[in-house]
Amino acid sequence: MQLDIASFILRKLFRLVLLLIAVAIFSFVLISFSPIDPIDAYVGADMLQISPEQREIIAQRWGLDQPMMTRFVLWLRQLASGNLGMSMIFNQPVSAVIGSRFQTSLQMLAIAWFLSGALGLAMGVLAGARAGSWLDRAIRFYAYTLASSPTFWVALLLLIVFSVSLKVTPICCATPPGVLARDVTFWQRLHHLILPAATLSIIGVANIALHTRQKLIEVLNSDYVLFARAQGESLVGVIRHHGLRNIILPALTLQFASLSELFGGSVLAEQVFSYPGLGKATVEAALRSDVPLLVGIVFFSALFVYTGNTIADLTYQIVDPRIRVGRSA
Amino acid sequence: MNGFNITYIMKLSLKTASCAAGILLAIAACAPSTSEQASQQNNASAPQQGGSSEQIVLALSNSEFDDGFDPTLGWGRYGSPLFQSTLLRRNSELGFENDLATNYSVSADGKVWTVTIRNDARFSDGTPVTAEDVAFTFNKAGESGGKTDVTVLQAAIATSPTTVELRLKQPQSTFINRLATLGIVPKHAHNANYGRNPIGSGPYKLVQWDEGQQLIAEVNPDYYGDVPQIQRLVFLLVEEDAAFAAAKAGQAQVASVPQTLAVQSIDNMKLYDVKSVDNRGIMFPFVPDTGKTTPDGAAIGNDVTADLAIRQAINYGIDRKALVDGILEGYGSPAYGPVTGLPWEQKDADIEDGQIDRAKQILAEGGWSDKNNDGVVEKNGQPAEFTILYKAGDSIRQALALSVAEQIKPLGIRANVEGKSWDEIEPRMHSNVVVFGWGSQDPTEVYNLYHSKSAQGDFNNAGYYADSKIDNMLDLAVGAPTQEEAIAFWKAAQWDGQSGFTTKGDAAWAWLVNLDHTYFVNTCLDIGTPQVEPHGHGWPITANIAEWKWTCN
Repeated sequence: MQLDIASFILRKLFRLVLLLIAVAIFSFVLISFSPIDPIDAYVGADMLQISPEQREIIAQRWGLDQPMMTRFVLWLRQLASGNLGMSMIFNQPVSAVIGSRFQTSLQMLAIAWFLSGALGLAMGVLAGARAGSWLDRAIRFYAYTLASSPTFWVALLLLIVFSVSLKVTPICCATPPGVLARDVTFWQRLHHLILPAATLSIIGVANIALHTRQKLIEVLNSDYVLFARAQGESLVGVIRHHGLRNIILPALTLQFASLSELFGGSVLAEQVFSYPGLGKATVEAALRSDVPLLVGIVFFSALFVYTGNTIADLTYQIVDPRIRVGRSA
Repeated sequence: MNGFNITYIMKLSLKTASCAAGILLAIAACAPSTSEQASQQNNASAPQQGGSSEQIVLALSNSEFDDGFDPTLGWGRYGSPLFQSTLLRRNSELGFENDLATNYSVSADGKVWTVTIRNDARFSDGTPVTAEDVAFTFNKAGESGGKTDVTVLQAAIATSPTTVELRLKQPQSTFINRLATLGIVPKHAHNANYGRNPIGSGPYKLVQWDEGQQLIAEVNPDYYGDVPQIQRLVFLLVEEDAAFAAAKAGQAQVASVPQTLAVQSIDNMKLYDVKSVDNRGIMFPFVPDTGKTTPDGAAIGNDVTADLAIRQAINYGIDRKALVDGILEGYGSPAYGPVTGLPWEQKDADIEDGQIDRAKQILAEGGWSDKNNDGVVEKNGQPAEFTILYKAGDSIRQALALSVAEQIKPLGIRANVEGKSWDEIEPRMHSNVVVFGWGSQDPTEVYNLYHSKSAQGDFNNAGYYADSKIDNMLDLAVGAPTQEEAIAFWKAAQWDGQSGFTTKGDAAWAWLVNLDHTYFVNTCLDIGTPQVEPHGHGWPITANIAEWKWTCN
């Protein structure tokens, strides 16, 4: 058993390394096709005051005078010693940028993730249990509508209603203006992340609710439920003893798979709310051709999503005794 | 007449666009503000509302701070460097005054600038500012590869504790701009982390920087100049529409807003429309298409715009006043050259525009006539038709391009307007007409716009303008030992009575408008006389921030 888990983890790690190598190569190839000139993007409107000599010095500072292949090899060598390089636009080590930005995003992502998981499951169960009722219709209508709404649009709507019209939530940022970091209270932080987190969870529930509903309807139409009902088991009892056990696996899979969507959604939501998280840094890095930072973030997000999926794999074994590692079924 | 109509239509459609597209704009500009009163109460929980001499909040859209506050990398190029001080500074008339320097002189050959500095200045860590620090700053800026260009510097050497010699490779009159923009950093405390922990001799010191969110600065008690009255500055790092929302919510005392929102009014705030040299104009490819290409393979030249009559006719035919009123809501001024309002502007180069008949006459004298009656004039079988490219997503540039195309239609010139991203425009910008926007307090820009040597297949002199007389004037201007002596040459390059790059001469561009930079400022805040601002709306307003006063109790 111990050995099996060890080999499971080893295999996973090996795949992760392969994945990261592929991600690195693809990122570099794609970026080398990008039409954005990083020096133009850096200099911006001061372009006409920067002489060709100065451009050369800038290119040297960032290693842009080297061909892409050389830069890739240098970057790999750096990476081998645990160094992700320097971000060009923030003039700071990439790891520091990702670290501080992710910290800001993390609370928001965590809240959105838990809310969308819990609410999605609850809504799915309700809709599935009362399939065909007005409640089911309402939930389905909500889910279909939200599943097809773009994140930034939902974010803007929330901003209009709650920040601009009702003025109950802040317009931007992660902390109130003018307050020193040490004086920012927990409630102020929470106040500022409500809307971005709500945006992500409002959209996140749709997927999980619809899948859960479908699975629950399948279970409720099965022979063993018919048998249980015949023996006098109530609907609540059926859902507790048979339904939940069957729907929890797909729900878990979706919940962990949604990490990638959440990550993508946060890019848009943070942009709308001027929330200075990793998503906003990603946009900056891409728009200004900051190769080290962009590759660093791509790396980090690949790691993040992969970890999420691996945790899902591991939880199956805890939740479902039939698929424990090393046991042939 | 026609021109006026179309710009009026543009004005209307711009308004609808700002209501429909920019959602935040829409809220601010179009939604009736019903719950204004309630909002005041709801926001009572937020700290430090309203502003005072203790603290003001500024919402200036910009991305100036991304790489920190290191002047050797370009921090403080315009506006106030806040945390550092410079040798010289620009006053509200853009003349130079001593700041950290007590005196400076330029050698007869223009190659050695000798600057003496005051002996009572201290960095915020208590150590005195010496000539060593000045020399270090200039040398460091030369090798750091940032947004400040001191490549002309051979070496900076401290010859005494208060005297520094800046030795140049060749004379450069524009070097004085570096003296006024390069904040002095302490040699002993400058390292890779300096940008995030700036120590300097400026009026303010950094308290906290939440990247992407806000910057908090407090008065530097050791400042050698008049200590600013406003104790604490909070800069919100938000976009223009969010800045407007913050001002409307009473959270910001200074907000930079786009011209389209300047027509709004906000309680307790006054609108400042600050003149700027933030210009917009259309660049003409100057040479005919002979199959030549740039080093990157982009085509050079356009047979239609290479004809002087076409370029001059467009310049005379456009009604710039209509553009200002229609597109900028009146918050702007006509531009006849790239340096409106600056000390080296040649006023004689201005023309009377909106003259359709004169423009038609120029075309006729140039050999252009409409023989096939299709509404477009021809010369040697070549119809007067070209494409105007503008940066897609920029509503002002779009409106300018469309209005110009409409205004020159009666002349028999057909302009097709296309919005593209910069990376699509770049390969086409040497052979098509392009809407550009520049504007700097440093005349180096004029050199790079018009000198034939600047045309290397990038944004510098993208139209491959070349005139040996103008080249000569520009060389004389840059090579003059001081800015005062250079000004005559800068003016002559624009128009000296016989030749110049402006309309009466080669008409290399059709400059259209200068934007006014519009700011909402709390009525209690006195921001003095703002300078003519460069390209970039927002941070430049801070140039005299140390003199700002809160006038209410």
